[in-house]
Amino acid sequence: MPDLYIFKTQVGMFDPVALQNHNVCIHYVQKSYYRKVDFLEGIPAFQCIDITAGAGLAALMVTGRVNVTNLEMADNEFGLWRWYPIDDAQVRLYHPTGIAKYQLRNLQVPVDMNIVLRDPNLVSTEIAVWQNNRPGVEAINGHAFALGAVRLIAIGYRFHSVDLESGKNADPMLVKAIKEGKAPCTDIWCSGRGTGD
Amino acid sequence: MFQEEGIVVTGPVVNLPTAGAGGSRVVFTIPVLVGQLVGVKSVKIKKVILFNNAAGNTSVLIGNGAVGVGIPVLLPALTSMNGLEDIYDNLPEVESFANITAWPAALVAGGSIDIQLQVIVRG
Repeated sequence: MPDLYIFKTQVGMFDPVALQNHNVCIHYVQKSYYRKVDFLEGIPAFQCIDITAGAGLAALMVTGRVNVTNLEMADNEFGLWRWYPIDDAQVRLYHPTGIAKYQLRNLQVPVDMNIVLRDPNLVSTEIAVWQNNRPGVEAINGHAFALGAVRLIAIGYRFHSVDLESGKNADPMLVKAIKEGKAPCTDIWCSGRGTGD
Repeated sequence: MFQEEGIVVTGPVVNLPTAGAGGSRVVFTIPVLVGQLVGVKSVKIKKVILFNNAAGNTSVLIGNGAVGVGIPVLLPALTSMNGLEDIYDNLPEVESFANITAWPAALVAGGSIDIQLQVIVRG
């Protein structure tokens, strides 16, 4: 059993959640997909969105919810992302766009620039994206002046996987063993979850 | 290893045309959005830039009282030389939970001071 799991981190490092030929279970909202990783690569840090789409964000304003389409993955792929803002807004994440992430009973926790000081590995921001089921974000400008942009930087991994439940790579015995806990499998949550359900 | 927490933000250039605490103006507004998720924020002044527009040799005071009141003062008076720019760095890390205001101690008639702050926003 490899020593890998979601949210794994070491100082200054960000480990992939699965390696070649590892079994994974993709959880998306209430669905589960059993798959096997057959390719992975690192994705260097890049600017994935300007939430204001170039328009800037006026003082004391909140943007509408914007889909982060640059974090979408191709068919049969999932991405593992950590992220942070580089402009001084607070950012609320939704994943997918209708489900609040970082949701507590009384508060949806926002992420701001302080995250790189408080959580240098960004472990608490980690999300996974299944295919084109991308997250959405809102930005809040608490300043008395406009922000020229609200940009997010993401860094992570891209994984290609094959279906173990149907198609040419189907392996019902392996899926059965995974479900019975007799074969190793890494669970990957690719969405948030509504509270209280 | 401890690292100073906070985000460095630069405020607007504000003109101070009226001498005395009664002429105090807001030079940096603490970010806050009532009803949103911000929580409490505060600022520490990191750097002050003064430009003296023919105001004569004077000093500028920085506080966090209401506009037109100014008091209490946060820092010792900063000298502003006639017609020159003065830059103050490495200031004491005085923390303020209210908007920063500033006012010139005195002005030559028709003169004014331009001021800009760089602050560390915490919270």
